[in-house]
Parts: sequence; structure tokens; C-alpha cells
Amino acid sequence: MNYDQPDKIIDLANFSIGYSGRANVHKVVKSGISVYALKGELVAVIGENGIGKSTLLRTISGFQPSVGGDFLLYGKPISTYREKDLALLMSFVSTEIIRVSNLSVFDLVSLGRYPYTNWFGKLLEEDIFLVEEAISAVGLRGYEYRMVNHLSDGERQKVMIARSLAQNTDIIVLDEPTAFLDLSNKYEIVHILHQLAREKEKTILFSTHDLTTAIAESDRLWLMLGASVEQGAPEDLILNGQIDSIFHSKHLYFDREKGDFRIRKLTKRDAHVNGEGIALGWTNKALTRNGFKVVDSTVPADITIIVDYPEWTVIHRSRQTKFDSLLSLCRHLNSLDR
Amino acid sequence: MAQTVSSISNLNTREYRVLLIFAFLVPLIFLLDLLVGSYYISVPEILNAIFYPERANDQVVLIISHFRIPKAITAILSGAALSVAGLQMQTVFRNPLAGPYILGVSSGASLGVALLVLGTGGLLGGSLVSIASSWGIVGAAWLGSGLILLLIVIISARIKDIMTILILGILISSAISSVVNILQYFSNESMLKSFVVWTMGSLGSVTNVQLAVLFPSVLAGILIAFLSSKFLDAFLLGENYARSMGMNILFARMMVFLSTAILAGSITAFCGPIGFIGIAVPHIARMTLQTAKHSLLVPGTILIGALMMLVSDIISQLPGSESTLPVNSVTALLGIPIVIWIIIRNKNTARL
Repeated sequence: MNYDQPDKIIDLANFSIGYSGRANVHKVVKSGISVYALKGELVAVIGENGIGKSTLLRTISGFQPSVGGDFLLYGKPISTYREKDLALLMSFVSTEIIRVSNLSVFDLVSLGRYPYTNWFGKLLEEDIFLVEEAISAVGLRGYEYRMVNHLSDGERQKVMIARSLAQNTDIIVLDEPTAFLDLSNKYEIVHILHQLAREKEKTILFSTHDLTTAIAESDRLWLMLGASVEQGAPEDLILNGQIDSIFHSKHLYFDREKGDFRIRKLTKRDAHVNGEGIALGWTNKALTRNGFKVVDSTVPADITIIVDYPEWTVIHRSRQTKFDSLLSLCRHLNSLDR
Repeated sequence: MAQTVSSISNLNTREYRVLLIFAFLVPLIFLLDLLVGSYYISVPEILNAIFYPERANDQVVLIISHFRIPKAITAILSGAALSVAGLQMQTVFRNPLAGPYILGVSSGASLGVALLVLGTGGLLGGSLVSIASSWGIVGAAWLGSGLILLLIVIISARIKDIMTILILGILISSAISSVVNILQYFSNESMLKSFVVWTMGSLGSVTNVQLAVLFPSVLAGILIAFLSSKFLDAFLLGENYARSMGMNILFARMMVFLSTAILAGSITAFCGPIGFIGIAVPHIARMTLQTAKHSLLVPGTILIGALMMLVSDIISQLPGSESTLPVNSVTALLGIPIVIWIIIRNKNTARL
């Protein structure tokens, strides 16, 4: 049975990306890309550095010619659209930080009205309304007359998103919108994108290195792997194990339960841990980091740790030692000989 | 919503008020510029000579109408033209240090003129005053500056680093100066003389006949700049953003470079190379107007550029003295501190 809806906004079939060189010799970065995006979906493009995420998004945005395959936009080949028509359908946010002094938030966002205004760029009442609405949508109301170069990186990225909202397109393509941001801004930006997809039914494509936010917020992942490009809901790709193959590293593995990548640790010794509550969980984490494997009482172990927050007791060779922090506990454990 | 609309119009009135102050200052400084010179003429005499020439002293009318007014008008035209050229180059190259002089566009114009004067020296001789030869000179300068602009466009498509482009621009300027030197070396005495006279060109050397060529040229260049203000705004975000908003990059670039070549070429053709006005003035405009919108910056740079050149001209007259300084030395001394300030500020904050 086929559950796929037919209204594919962006549809790539056997698509190739790369750079065109001299005399029609193409340097193909990636070929055989067959993925799509539906209306109102937030799509995260995931993959290793240099695998072609940026190239793919830039090709979709029309900054780079495709080097093969089909790209249907609303069911029609991309080549049938003129640049002016595309500006009404698709807007773009780059990873580059815009450094222009004396440019106010309002003026930058109003540049999004470019395809709609007259030769001199005069804003009509409707344009001003849409610009204000876009600024509010990213939570920057009251920032209208601040200068863009006085904003923080996170605020500036929100302004760029507001600009693309003012352009009033059904599709927004963002190339690593969270690249330079700290953790809280990363979450906030991706959350804004999620809401825009939900509330305004926009189809939003963004590339990112941050798997946790991508898995938490996006509807669909385009997983760019060495040999192929896979797509699906993040949870589907976790369950079928495809997400494991993103990073070709022996030391990394995907923790399916916790939904995140972890560094593989060699376990040196077994330990029993008794206790309860949050403190028990964090104690286990600290032990794992230090190369101890927490085992249950059926397996013999020569170390026993009793968690009684805010106190820990280590029993080793019938000697008891008490600790008031995990830091001192771990230092002690590492110094124990076999 | 009604509130936001009114607050926006309020904001614009503040910018228009600043423009109005500059617009008021220009005629004032213009009059001051008419006042200074090696021969003292009082304000009533000047006004008389302008408005009632039949009642005024013939000699005063001659000085005012044939020397001081053309020179002051040339100052306004050159200040406005070089500043608008600089503004457009800074925006399109997204480089705060771009300007017609520093990137070699002015020297491209000199090369054009050198090739014309030294190549056809026999034909034109020393008679660079006729209207036909004025158009010839201006055309050669346009071609020369247009060619260098094209070269810089090709370079900046490959190299993104601002400082590298700047260094290449300086190298191009030096290379062109060498070519001009070689041309001079191989030309005969009379050709050389007419060329050297041209290179020493100043605001004062522009005759009324040449003004008849310079004025419409500068007007055309400025008109194109006005028509490009929406393109220029989009260029602020870079070409990818501009294209994603539906701008025809090729057409927009052609408009901007046509205007820049006409403006920088025309001024260099008649006044010789004048440096640092083109870099400094756009920054003063952005600072005083507190905006990056070109619909305001273009008129702003026109007015501030005109003021800067009028002031430079007044300083070059060395009020109270009979001698005059070369005006391009004055503009350099006024402009270079501003350029230094831009470089220092740029290290820690914004680009444009």
C-alpha cells in the first residue's frame, strides 16, 4: 500500500550535483539523488562534511547548474521557471554572516519584498505589514530600528529568516542556518523553522550538523551517505539503522535509545552500583565515561558503589571510602589497582 | 499597523532632514568658494556680477563667470561624481575601501586619455579646448575606466578577499602609470606638452566649453545611479541573495558599471586624478544618514561629495595667500584620515 501523498513540492529523481568544468566536463560531487519534500514539511539535510549538502541546496536554489537528472518543482521541470518566477516560489538563507553597517533590521527584512516592489523599491502599506509580520514571526518585534551589525549571531540569523519570510515564498532553503550559533540559539532557530512549517505550511529545507535538533524537530531527513541518499522520518532512519552509517568512524556509534551519537569506549572493569533516582543515572554515566561497565548483581565485580546522594561509598577489597562528589569518586576509581 | 507606518515615515523624515541640511550648506559653501581667490571680490560685488552683470565691473564679471563659477561648478560635479562612483563600487564589491582612485579606475581613464592625446597628438595638438576634442577625451577616459572596471570584476569573481583585491588594484594602477610613462617617453615634444598639461589638470582648468560636456556626462551617470538604487540595496546582501530575490545580476551590474565608468572617467578626463573623495564620502553619508538604503545614500553622497570638493577647493586657494595648492593633495589629506579610520574600525566591526 502506498501512503505517500502526491503533492511533492520538490522532487529530485536521479539528480546529480557538481561543478561544470571546461567543455562540458562535469565534476560530479554526488549522483543518483532521488528524494522529495512535501508541502509543509521541515526537511533536514544531514551528512558528513564535504559530502555535498551545500552543493545540493545551492543547486536547488539555482545558484549552481545541475549536472544531470530531474528536478521537478510543483511537478514542472526547474528549467521552465524564470529567475523572477522562482523568487516568488523559493527564498534562500545562506550560512554567510551579513556585515553591513547602518542597515536596520527593518530595511534588511524589507529587502525580501524585492520581487514585489516597483523599480525604486518603494514599500506600500501591504509590504510594510508583511515585513512587520515577518519580524514578529521570528520573535524580533521591537528590534526594527536596531542596526544589523549590532545584533548577536543568533539574532542576525533570525533577521535573515525574517527576510526570507517577507519574500513570502512557499519554499525556504537554508544552508547551515545554525552553523555559528550556540546551543540555545541552535534549538531556537530550528524550532522557529518547525513552527513555520507547521503554521504557515511552508516547505523548509535546511542543512545541519546538529543531529539532535534535526531528529527532534524535522519531519523528514535527507541522509547523504557515501553511496546513496536516503530519506525518511528521523525515527524510521534510526529504526532501520541507516542513520548509523553517517559517520565512518570506529569510535562513533549511534545510540538508538538515546537518539544521539556517542564515542565508543573500551570498558576496563565491571562495577556494581546500588542506589536510586537521578543520582544513580548520572553516576552510571560518570562510570561509563571512565571506562567502567555497570553490571547487575548476577555478574561478579570487585567494586561496589553505593549511591546515597549527596554521598557515595566505594567498597573495594572490603575497604570502604566515602566521597562527596562524583569528581573525587572518579579520581579515586581511576587510581585503584586491579 | 497604522502606528508602524507612521513610525517609518518619522524615521524617514529624520533622514530627509539631514539631507536638507546638506542641501542648504551646498549653496552656502558654493558662495564662499566664489569669494576666495588671488583677487579679492566682496560678496555684494559677486552677487551683483551674477545677477546684474551689466551694472558690475567688467573685470569682476569676467573673473566670476569665466573662472570662479566654472571652477566651483566643477568642484560640485567632481565631488558628486567621484562620491557616487565610490558608493556604487563599495556596494557592488562589498568592500569598504573600494573607490575609483584606489582600484585603478581613475588611472584607467588616464591611460585612455594618454593613448588618445599621445597617439593622435598631431591632430589635436594643444587644442584640448574645442567641444569635439572634449568629447574625444571624455570618451577615451570612459573606455579606459570601463576596461579597468571589467578587469576588476573578473578578478573579484575569482578572489574574494578584500585586501587581495585592493593590493591587485594598487598594482594595476602602478602598471598603468608605467604604461603611461612609456607612452610619454616615446612621444614627441608637442604631444608630451599637451599631455603633461592635461595631467596637471585641476578644477580651475575646466573651461565653460568643457563644462558643456562634463555637466551632461555627470548628470547621466548620476541618473543611472538613481535608477540603480534598488539593485544596489540588493547587492548589499551579496549576489546570491540578490539573485534569489529575482534580480537580473548581469543587467544590474551593467547599469552600475556604466554609471561608475561615466562618472569616474569624465572627472578624470577633465580634472586629472583626484583621490580619496570616492572612498571617504560614502562612509560619511552612511554615518550621518544612519542608513544603508541607496535611495537616500545616492543623494546623500552627491551633496556631501559636492561639499567636500568645495571645501577642498577653498583650502587649496590658501585663503589670504596668492598661491594655490594642487586640489588632489588637499583631497588626499582630507580623505586619508577617514580611510585610516575605516581600516581600524573594520578590524573589529562591520564591513560596509
